[in-house]
Amino acid sequence: MKPTPVLETLNLTKVFPGVVALDDVSLTLYPGEVLGLVGENGAGKSTLMKLIGGVFPPTRGRIRYRGEEVQFRTPKDALDAGISIVYQELNLILHLSVAENIFINRLPRRHGFVDWGRLYRDAARILEASGMGEIDPRAIVSGLPIGVKQSVEIARALSYDARVLLLDEPTSSLTGPEIENLFGVIRRLQERGIGIVYVSHHLDEIFEITDRVHVLRDGRTVVEMPTSATTEEAIVARMVGRDLQDIYYKGDHRPGEVALEARGLSDAVLGGVDFHVRRSEVVGIYGLLGSGRTELLKAIVGARPLRSGEVRLHGRPVRFRHPQEAARAGVIYSSEDRKGENLFFGQPIWKNETYLALQIGRFVRMGFAQVAEERRAADAFSRKLGVKAPSVDVDVYHLSGGNQQKVCLAKALINDPEVVLLDEPTRGIDVGAKLEIYKLIAELADQGKAVVFVSSELPEVIGCADRVYTMAGGRITAELVGDAITEENVLRYCLQTASPGEAAS
Amino acid sequence: MKLNKSLLSSSEFIVFLGLLAVGAFFAFTSPVFLTKFNLLNILLQSSIQGIIAIGMTFVILTAGIDLSVGSVVALSGVLMALMLHGGVPVWAVILINLAFGVAVGLFHGFSITKIGMAPFIVTLATMAMARGLTMVFSDGKTIFDFPAAFEFFGAGQIGPISVAVVIFLLYALVAEVVLRSTVLGRNIYAVGSNIKAAALSGIRTHGVLYFVYIVSGVSCAIAGLVLTGRLGAAMPTAAMGYELDAIAAVIIGGASLMGGKGTIVGTIIGVLLIGVINNGMNLLNVPPFWQSFLKGAVIFLAVMIDSLKNRPSEV
Repeated sequence: MKPTPVLETLNLTKVFPGVVALDDVSLTLYPGEVLGLVGENGAGKSTLMKLIGGVFPPTRGRIRYRGEEVQFRTPKDALDAGISIVYQELNLILHLSVAENIFINRLPRRHGFVDWGRLYRDAARILEASGMGEIDPRAIVSGLPIGVKQSVEIARALSYDARVLLLDEPTSSLTGPEIENLFGVIRRLQERGIGIVYVSHHLDEIFEITDRVHVLRDGRTVVEMPTSATTEEAIVARMVGRDLQDIYYKGDHRPGEVALEARGLSDAVLGGVDFHVRRSEVVGIYGLLGSGRTELLKAIVGARPLRSGEVRLHGRPVRFRHPQEAARAGVIYSSEDRKGENLFFGQPIWKNETYLALQIGRFVRMGFAQVAEERRAADAFSRKLGVKAPSVDVDVYHLSGGNQQKVCLAKALINDPEVVLLDEPTRGIDVGAKLEIYKLIAELADQGKAVVFVSSELPEVIGCADRVYTMAGGRITAELVGDAITEENVLRYCLQTASPGEAAS
Repeated sequence: MKLNKSLLSSSEFIVFLGLLAVGAFFAFTSPVFLTKFNLLNILLQSSIQGIIAIGMTFVILTAGIDLSVGSVVALSGVLMALMLHGGVPVWAVILINLAFGVAVGLFHGFSITKIGMAPFIVTLATMAMARGLTMVFSDGKTIFDFPAAFEFFGAGQIGPISVAVVIFLLYALVAEVVLRSTVLGRNIYAVGSNIKAAALSGIRTHGVLYFVYIVSGVSCAIAGLVLTGRLGAAMPTAAMGYELDAIAAVIIGGASLMGGKGTIVGTIIGVLLIGVINNGMNLLNVPPFWQSFLKGAVIFLAVMIDSLKNRPSEV
């Protein structure tokens, strides 16, 4: 006989203005089990988590917790009841200690002053009980490795006597050993009877740690079943709703001569990176967060100072000291961080698309911006890339992630660059928009451009790139071509630290 | 229609309505307010504040602040007075004065971009240093007696219009064109809106920051020229507290201290609103202590209306 579920959602539906984010989802979580929650971006995973966590109320449907129906009005209600969420972005206050972070909003007090002795004792007890006894409650968080920070976040979640723990992409910034460590923690929590919902894009993790898996697609439940009864391929097919071959699009191009070449690039993060990209070629760079992939692209265009190394463009040595110089030479970098580093929120689409162009003298006469020309070009590019907006006067803030990404691409491509460095162009956007971007990347290569495509999603790197570099610890760990580009190879090389001279091909 | 709608809901238009409302109130309560003489006087009174506020607009658009403006105006006045008394020709005095404004801006730009200091702190330090130097150079005394050619810039008339007003309006026109139509102007908004994105978009962010602080420094030098000419005296205590009026005018005009939002037109309306209130309260013989309170209250109301309008729907 099965035990009573610790958490059930019954026909949960959430409608936002104009979009059904979650449609009739029923999920069951038993005590002491790890339930994997998978689905593409936009499939409804975070909406489901937020409904369970009391961030907002469901439009329809019910939540049953430990056999009783509950309605959480605020996240604090859910927290007090014993449902804790650990979000992907860590919410720690870096200059405070581990103990202070755990008890941030309820520091123990005596006579109105913080009772430091008790604070550290309580924190140590919670860390011990969560299997993290080795963490010093007095340590300042900013100095801790990212994996330990994650553990502190989990300890804080558990400090509310959690019965249910929701982990949103907990490994997205962890290294191999840190992931193993996290799994150790999860298994110990399982033994204590805590039910864990584990959200991840990494299917290998799902197969390693979860007992059952719940697949979402377009806001609906596709299936909920024991993990042992399925395979990675089957899950991917169910997440996407079609076969992999249909999704990715290699285009029709044959790589030409080398366009951009880097040798021995080194700085605070990079440890001697060699790589090149040819005309009419899509080069994929795969690496985890912190592997140096973003730093590499930024160093090339001069957005980061290089310590040593050489960059050659069409065989001629170049040293860009500012992204403007790179753009003038036809090398453009598009940042992964749309809101933080790429777009100007509060400004219309057309201005966003032409900022870079203005800097290299396009749409400019005698220092004056030629607004009519700018708008015409922005309008044409927005149509070409399929930006969905009533006009180019719309503030980019109001666009969906996918459309914002298209504006970012338009901003780069409006300059007709020869080398395009795209940093995670598909991060956080829906499947439909992803497909369009894959197609666009292939078309760019078809037109003779050299495209570098950084991604942390394995299937798309394998599906889109003609050649793949794996990165780890600021180094290229492998260069994979043709049949060597397999999930297994890419993963193996990006999880290892580079040993000089090694390259599989 | 769409244009009208965006015009009607713009910050500038709302403040303009506020200006009309305040003006109407004074027109009814004081018989002198609407006379040509008084209106020209308001414009004259506002011109010095206006010139400073134009420079401040550039700085605030980049999410910066320049607290030094009042002190720099005073130092500019005293430096010019000493040079004139030392026999330096008027044209050279004016050029050196403008160069002084550029130098102040370069110092701010360098401290902020190359050293990485916060604009608030850098300009707070300059505020104290410039005021101190003003006292040292003038020995704490007011300096009088300048050539007529020098006083022309502050006290001269072109027909019925003061030269000071002409300088203010021309300066505003140039500033408006730079901000609205040039690439440099667009880059200033970009830097204030998102400095990281600006750099990755190929904008020379350091150059932009240097530029806005130089504009502010030069604005102070021009204001120093006009003020000293108008008063016929360089006073070590001149332009005390002008930085706060300038900041208030810029914010009333719809700019955001977070950068990326604001216009010269808005700033001018903000300056005029403060000028009208000062003038009207004098005409109505409001006691000085209450004047300060009422001015503060109007600034609060003006910014409150704008904030309520732009209040985000979620936290």
